[in-house]
Amino acid sequence: MEKGEKLVIVGRGGVGGPAAMLSRKLMPEVDVTIISEEERFIVR
Amino acid sequence: MAGLATADSITNPDEMFSNANINLIKARATHVDAQKKMIALSDGSEVPYDKMVLAVGATQVVPQIEGHDLEGVFTLRQVPDAERIRAFIDERKPRRLVFIGAGFISLETATLLSASMPDYDEMTVVGRRAHPLPFMLDTEMGLNIEKYLVEKGLTMKMGEEVTKIKGQDGRVSSVELAAGQLLDADMVIVGVGARANLELANDMGLEIGRYGIKVNQFLETSNPDVLAAGDCVEKTHFITKKPVAGQIRGPAVIQGRLVAKRLAGYDIAFPGVLMSTAVKLFDKTIAATGLTEVQAQDSEGFETVSAVVDSRSKHGMISGAKPWTLKLVFDKKTQRLIGGQIISDSQAPAKEIDAVCALILGEKTIADLTTFICAGHPDCSSEPSLEPIAIAAEQALQKLRK
Repeated sequence: MEKGEKLVIVGRGGVGGPAAMLSRKLMPEVDVTIISEEERFIVR
Repeated sequence: MAGLATADSITNPDEMFSNANINLIKARATHVDAQKKMIALSDGSEVPYDKMVLAVGATQVVPQIEGHDLEGVFTLRQVPDAERIRAFIDERKPRRLVFIGAGFISLETATLLSASMPDYDEMTVVGRRAHPLPFMLDTEMGLNIEKYLVEKGLTMKMGEEVTKIKGQDGRVSSVELAAGQLLDADMVIVGVGARANLELANDMGLEIGRYGIKVNQFLETSNPDVLAAGDCVEKTHFITKKPVAGQIRGPAVIQGRLVAKRLAGYDIAFPGVLMSTAVKLFDKTIAATGLTEVQAQDSEGFETVSAVVDSRSKHGMISGAKPWTLKLVFDKKTQRLIGGQIISDSQAPAKEIDAVCALILGEKTIADLTTFICAGHPDCSSEPSLEPIAIAAEQALQKLRK
């Protein structure tokens, strides 16, 4: 992704959380947003 | 649910994201306009994207049998489910519990609750297959676990099917089996699998497979600007190359991180899943990867050769050594390793399943495994002469010569 582009992740469970955190590390210039309806979310 | 950890201690706090300069919007994504690249939210707002990742998970399946919606019937998947179960137990103090399904979620829930509810009258597990953990263990291993669970106080009804959940005044009172038997119950926990959440994917017109959203090896969907990962996507089995659901946490986390790498420009392909799982039932730890021998023979048409080896967690002269058993399954034609199962009386040996997993991914053969050498120490491994991976391979080698 390019500088200033918007990455939106829908969900923050086993996929969404790690995807967002590593995206931030690998692409610090990208705008990262998580959309999540759960207050707290974890699956086994 | 069992009181061993708080909900907050096992979930990611919002601060983790805000401290990393990640925007967190608490709302439901209700619609995606793939042409305008715009996501509509339940609060009426819209969010634009250049790339989107669908990580919407799966929902526990509830068989649509009579009585599935009675008070006292639960499924377990997320923290709120566990909190509802705990609250019901604390308030109603159920004494007769029935668990529908004999997979790892059902069994681990039963074992944890039985340990935290010393006053229960009966806990019964009903499973359709001939033995518990049928997707992890072959018959001889599974029957050993069934015997152990009975010794620990659970009632096991294997090879049975629940046809009806009965109630009184809106509350569950019993469970009826196909054979007609009635099991008294004031609480029922259903654990029979999960189904991918596909509402948004369908809304966008993404290609859907039998088990979830179709993605390529880079987790890209049929829309080039949308990636998807985890329980909502269909995966490929590493050995059979067939589509599978693979709804377990390990692949979800790894796929989540792989999505980030793909978006950052890496070309790393997801290799497929081996369905590696581990479960702790009372004092036994069970782990499995790849195909069981039954799956390999009956579902996939492999001719197999296998070996079961008993070992111990420490050298014999060290006190506290606990037994463990390893089964390895090989494809007779290629002699490649295709599956492994471990039952252990202590926790550490179960992690040897990861070595088995890596050996399958490396497409190692019986001959390769006969020279497999583990790191060892008297206090944390068996003697090298009892290291079961190499011994199992030697036994398989001998069986092939007969």
